[in-house]
Amino acid sequence: MRPEDRERIQVEVTQRVVARYVEMSMNQPEGFMQTVVNDTVYHEMRRLDRATHNRKAKHTIGYYQDVRHKLLSGSDADQRRLLEGMARRFVAEVVGNFDERVYRLSTTMIPTGLGVLLNAMSPKRLLSLDHFRSSLANQISIQGATSQVRGLLDRGTLVVVPTHSSNLDSIILGYAVYLMGIPPLVYGAGLNLFTNPLVSFFMRNLGAYRVDRYKTAPVYKEVLKEYATCASEMGYHQLFFPGGTRSRSGQVEQRLKKGLMGTSLRAFIANHIADKARPNIYIVPCTLSYKLVLEAETLIGDHLSESGKARFIIDDDEFSRPKRLLNFFSNLLSLNDEIIVRFGQPMDVFGNPVDERGESLDPQGRPLDARTYISRDGVPYFDDQRDMEYTNELSHSIAGAYLRENVLMNTNVVARALFTLLRRANPGVDLYRLMHTGGRSSSFTMAELHTETEHLLTALKKLPVRPQLTALLQRGDIQEIVNDALTHFSIYHTQPAATRRGDHVFHQDRKLLYYYSNRLEGYDLPSVDR
Amino acid sequence: MPENVGVIGSGSWGTTIAKILGENGHQVLLWTRRQELCDEINATRENASYLPGAKLAPGVMATTDLPRICETCRLIVMVVPSHGFRAVAHEIGGYLDGEHVLVHATKGIEQESFKRMSEILREETPVRKIGVLSGPNLARELADRKPSGTLVASHYDEVITRAQQALQSEYFRVYAGHDVVGAEIGGTFKNIVALAAGVVDGLKLGDNTKALLMTRGINEMARFGSAMGAKVLTFGGMAGFGDMMATCASSFSRNHQVGERLARGETLEEILEAMKMVAEGVKATRAVRTFTEGRGFSLPIVDAVYEVLYEGAPVPAAISKLMTLATGDEFRGLVL
Repeated sequence: MRPEDRERIQVEVTQRVVARYVEMSMNQPEGFMQTVVNDTVYHEMRRLDRATHNRKAKHTIGYYQDVRHKLLSGSDADQRRLLEGMARRFVAEVVGNFDERVYRLSTTMIPTGLGVLLNAMSPKRLLSLDHFRSSLANQISIQGATSQVRGLLDRGTLVVVPTHSSNLDSIILGYAVYLMGIPPLVYGAGLNLFTNPLVSFFMRNLGAYRVDRYKTAPVYKEVLKEYATCASEMGYHQLFFPGGTRSRSGQVEQRLKKGLMGTSLRAFIANHIADKARPNIYIVPCTLSYKLVLEAETLIGDHLSESGKARFIIDDDEFSRPKRLLNFFSNLLSLNDEIIVRFGQPMDVFGNPVDERGESLDPQGRPLDARTYISRDGVPYFDDQRDMEYTNELSHSIAGAYLRENVLMNTNVVARALFTLLRRANPGVDLYRLMHTGGRSSSFTMAELHTETEHLLTALKKLPVRPQLTALLQRGDIQEIVNDALTHFSIYHTQPAATRRGDHVFHQDRKLLYYYSNRLEGYDLPSVDR
Repeated sequence: MPENVGVIGSGSWGTTIAKILGENGHQVLLWTRRQELCDEINATRENASYLPGAKLAPGVMATTDLPRICETCRLIVMVVPSHGFRAVAHEIGGYLDGEHVLVHATKGIEQESFKRMSEILREETPVRKIGVLSGPNLARELADRKPSGTLVASHYDEVITRAQQALQSEYFRVYAGHDVVGAEIGGTFKNIVALAAGVVDGLKLGDNTKALLMTRGINEMARFGSAMGAKVLTFGGMAGFGDMMATCASSFSRNHQVGERLARGETLEEILEAMKMVAEGVKATRAVRTFTEGRGFSLPIVDAVYEVLYEGAPVPAAISKLMTLATGDEFRGLVL
């Protein structure tokens, strides 16, 4: 971020957050502001209670004790000042982690950083830096509306909204964007991405600002939203994951978080009210697809854990274990696997597709003036209820794009086929029990698996709303598809999802099979029982 | 505050809506497809073939010019029969933009796709601010200024407010809701029950029978509707219970009339040939039946009406089939 913008955004965000609360307090009973301040102190104190007490934490505790003390005797104006003080602290923290030099360097650093990391971990130094850089570039396959996305760079602000299955997503996407010649994207990376010191080295270089997901105070969340809004208004292209967190089940996200998504619309309206020259915000749906997912075991384990034990924040998974990372990458490189980054057709903030020139199109492909959505008699205005509905509609459009742009790997299709065989062989057995016990038969014949895979491929190709297929799946050589998937299932995970012995295939880690097969959820496929 | 309001569709209900809007002081453009009807309305201030005897206020003007309506009016009410709905929506779509507010008052569902009218508007036009008007609104009675109520449902508060402001009058109460699916399903489904109610009246079976039919009809409506995403409570309101009461009681209702003639032993072809206006219930029965087949629904009234209409089942047989079904918990399958 340009230095002058950095100062501006700091002031602007603080002011807007305070103004928003002042506005809210108009329609609330007396004492609202006091409650907001108190609530923020409460959330922060609770967080600090659980955190390790270093010097910084002690200092922060002192600060909040002071706020609480002053609140007791404060006037209305004092309360507002206290809120402003707390908001400013939050903003400073968010903006403070945005290092301009690092921002500029970030993308060129990624491959180097990864290479250094892997070399440091690899005892035999198998991978040379250059080799790693070139092979990573070769292994990221960028597909879809890339030229349109590039063309829109100068016509408005991009907001890239990818599916999220791994902590590697932001690194891969950052690199993909660099390869496409798109400037670095501003995005808020969770603190938990920084837990591994080696990883944190290049996460810091890539990440534009840090988001502390342990901070639960509503004021903090307002700060983050307002920061994203302001950055959009200033023309900084952004990245955020609308699923909010990595997909636990392996499904392509269909329920999206509205909070951050709403910031694009707010920026769009603010741009029009301010009569900006380039007011448009373009939403770019994007999918990331892997044959194997680094954190699959942890994610599906969390998804299937007893209710109440699932976690929103996971910070002790494969991503934080250097050995697993190394293992993952060396397999990726040795098998020459592609990671597919696919861009869908960009849309406006209302979910309408936009054309090459960035003009919105109506459902019939007719040109449309997007400004009319936010205007009455041509005058743009904010309307919280309306804007919430617009955001709902946008998230529907993004979810729809995910289903169309999702690239299925053979691992997904074969896992689904095998899981289907398993379900069919155990009619009426509860899913959880089946996963736990494995049901009646521990194996199926390869012929059965081939037939089921073929059926599934045929069904997939006939769907009205269907996913993309990799080249391997398109070629349709069933033997090759199945063999390659089984190879993958046996190389990286702690326990193979399935293994072949002779002319039989044995299901082993059924949770993993379920995880990989879930990538086919959301489509109108025939039911398991046929 | 008076504004320009467009009404697309000049059947009895469309003309009535235009009349109410005109009496409320709005400048109304009423679309007719045929030039002769347009000229007749403008010359006589009356739509004699669809709503005889109802004088329109001077602010109501008929026109065949769709682009002009879209250009002049930001608030537009669509009252086109369900089978012609998509074509008209597609046509106006090109003249509309994000500022427009579209409220439809069509009770029915698209045959092949089973799409609701608001879904068609969403697909064919760029408009987001979409609402539905549905309630016990027999055009004739409203045209005679007899007190009535209705529901306007939309996800957008602005749509609700604007429709309320435009339509509310000394004899018309417009209630607000957010359950678009419920309002649309209610308006569609009640026509099926009204057909059956017509049969009951035609056979002079009495009030107990009709109450039984309507109560079980609401039950089917609510079970079907909630499976489609509606809120069960909506069916206890204007667009559910209210609309069904009026339609099942009134001999004005076209659906009711179809039922009465069925009771007399006429076939569907004969009835449709004799009727000038569309009976939405005839289409709705087939649409709901086609959609629900094989999807695990239990809708005995819909099935009975379908069998009489389309499979030539004799009315007494259909009734006795209904009466011999197993009973059970009255609200089985319903979750409030």
